[in-house]
Amino acid sequence: MTSARNNILSKLKSQVKDADYSKLPAEQGFNYPQQSFSEQLEQFITHLENNHAQIIKLTRAEIGKVITQELAARNITSLLYGDNSQYTQDIEQSDSSITLNKYSFDFAQHKERLFNDTPAGVTGSRCAIAQTGSIVLWPTPDEPRTLSLVPPVHFVIVDAKTLYPSFGDLIEQQQWADKLPTNAVLVSGPSKTADIQQTLAYGAHGPKELIVLLLNS
Amino acid sequence: MSVDQVNPNDESKYAASARAFRDNVSRDLANDELRSNFRGAMDYLVDKRKTALSDSDELETLREQCKLIKQRCLVKLPHLLEALEEKLTANGIKVHWAETITEANEIIAEIIESKNGKTVVKGKSMVSEETALNDHLESRDIECLESDMGEYIVQLAKEHPSHIIMPAIHQNKKQVADLFAKNIEGFEHTTDVDALIQQGRNVLRDKFCNADVGVSGVNFAVAETGTLCLVENEGNGRMCTTVPDLHIAITGIEKVVEHLSDVPPLLSLLTRSATGQAISTYFNMISHPRQQDEKDGPGEVHLVLLDNGRSQMYSDDELRQTLQCIRCGACMNHCPVYTRIGGHAYGTVYPGPIGKIVSPHMLGLEATTNLPTASSLCGACGEVCPVKIPIPKLLLRLRQESVKPKGAPQVMKGQGSGRKTSEAFIWSVWSMIHKQPLFYRTSMWFATRLRFLMPKKLGAWTVARSAPKLAPKTLHERIKEREQAAKGK
Repeated sequence: MTSARNNILSKLKSQVKDADYSKLPAEQGFNYPQQSFSEQLEQFITHLENNHAQIIKLTRAEIGKVITQELAARNITSLLYGDNSQYTQDIEQSDSSITLNKYSFDFAQHKERLFNDTPAGVTGSRCAIAQTGSIVLWPTPDEPRTLSLVPPVHFVIVDAKTLYPSFGDLIEQQQWADKLPTNAVLVSGPSKTADIQQTLAYGAHGPKELIVLLLNS
Repeated sequence: MSVDQVNPNDESKYAASARAFRDNVSRDLANDELRSNFRGAMDYLVDKRKTALSDSDELETLREQCKLIKQRCLVKLPHLLEALEEKLTANGIKVHWAETITEANEIIAEIIESKNGKTVVKGKSMVSEETALNDHLESRDIECLESDMGEYIVQLAKEHPSHIIMPAIHQNKKQVADLFAKNIEGFEHTTDVDALIQQGRNVLRDKFCNADVGVSGVNFAVAETGTLCLVENEGNGRMCTTVPDLHIAITGIEKVVEHLSDVPPLLSLLTRSATGQAISTYFNMISHPRQQDEKDGPGEVHLVLLDNGRSQMYSDDELRQTLQCIRCGACMNHCPVYTRIGGHAYGTVYPGPIGKIVSPHMLGLEATTNLPTASSLCGACGEVCPVKIPIPKLLLRLRQESVKPKGAPQVMKGQGSGRKTSEAFIWSVWSMIHKQPLFYRTSMWFATRLRFLMPKKLGAWTVARSAPKLAPKTLHERIKEREQAAKGK
């Protein structure tokens, strides 16, 4: 369809031949008041809780124990987790009553299992955003995209040290424009919908529960 | 090629339903259940937005910023599209261009057929509604299932979305329960919304797992990085773009932004204007197909860029502002007309104020000539628009375009098709009278003296109103009398 491409582009170009970009008006963003770290953390937690996520503050050494407790409370006995990722060893400290399954397989070969027989998954996170209560997932071959998407319960480990005030600050400071991964996702709660009579219901298609394990030392 | 020479096969099915606007309005105004569904939903959304945008300094700064971002991106549009294509191609995403809806559907069907795809799951995409993609794929024996809960409901009901953000807003939970009962095997009857969603979820999870293809829309396409951004709450967008091995995204050419840093302010106003959320549950950024060593994600990703009337909007400085739209739906939520007649009465894919200014370019003014007149020009849509599109002004402009005389410079498809000889004659007499003081005074003198001749019934005007009464004397006369009386004192 090169003719469609050329037609569209030439129509558009003929309209802005003389455009002078240096004359474009200056764009001004809003200056949000500076917040202390504890205010940011509170904002982050409040947003997530309002969006129905569960927040558990803990230390790194407690990850295995807390996961065990939370799974037991839900009568879940298995957990899918990433291979060689930052918290793999901490996750492996969970109780032996939990069957730990490593995501060391190709998704296409194990689709059915992931959809029908994987009640919970755990991932780490790259960073977090205070202003909107968002967690940044940056999937890798070790922690694939579907690990945080398909299992109905998603545990996500967030280090409070990685909190940024806003999405804009984050993009700028981490220079995202230089290199984005195959897929990056901001997650701000469990899956939800208000498509039936504006009534909120959780667990539309993605995880029904988002359990945030917040490391704050 | 002139804009009037369009292949008749390209006519959207929505042209016919838009022509029936007046009948649609009568039908839907008489439906009390529908009206109560819309009223409830609009009040809810207006309230949500108000709470989320309570700081007016912040709101006005962001609106101005977002307007300027979109205007910059539009001035640079052809170059940004080329840059986007180059970057996406380098990232491994294939780019296709379509001038018409038929071309877009053809491209998508061919991609799917080339991979022997038989089943498609679709994330929410208004552009694919614009092309009526589902109908086209079904005609080629490709099953196409909507996966956004609202879209799924609408598809089961064999309808189209009545709102661009909440497609099934016209139905209440009882109606949805009845619909599920008819269509979902083993449905356990309930009007509990959680239970309804769970049953929908179960059907759709199975489809996600087995679909060959995922089709999605795009909220922002970032030229700088070659990234497709999707805003959603349900996770169906992530499913459609992650689980099947083939992902096809379709979007309008106006969705491109220059920098990644343009996204945060636009995203912030988009979700807050739309549903009052600080951010959607998921903001999904896709920059590559599955890379080596990665264990999941589609092996192939395609983007279809659709024109369908957008380059026509682009060709006029005033009308170009239509392309600033980020599809938040706030204008319809705040529109007194939309709230009363609902989304289906418009007969178009995009209803409400934004629909009234985009549809004439997509379907032509001949099919949509009534739409720009269906406004009281109260200005609410323009006041809430996050990118400051002067919607009321554009409605007036489209009214002018629809009555333009033959031979006027070509601005848009179907211009002048609302022009009536009798109406044009009346206005030319009116104009002549008003230009000449002698004519004006004489005719006004006669009009006031012969006011008893004014009929009680004035066609459509007096269906719901009483006929206007002329004053016994003109204003000029009365002022003159008053001045003389004052002098006499």
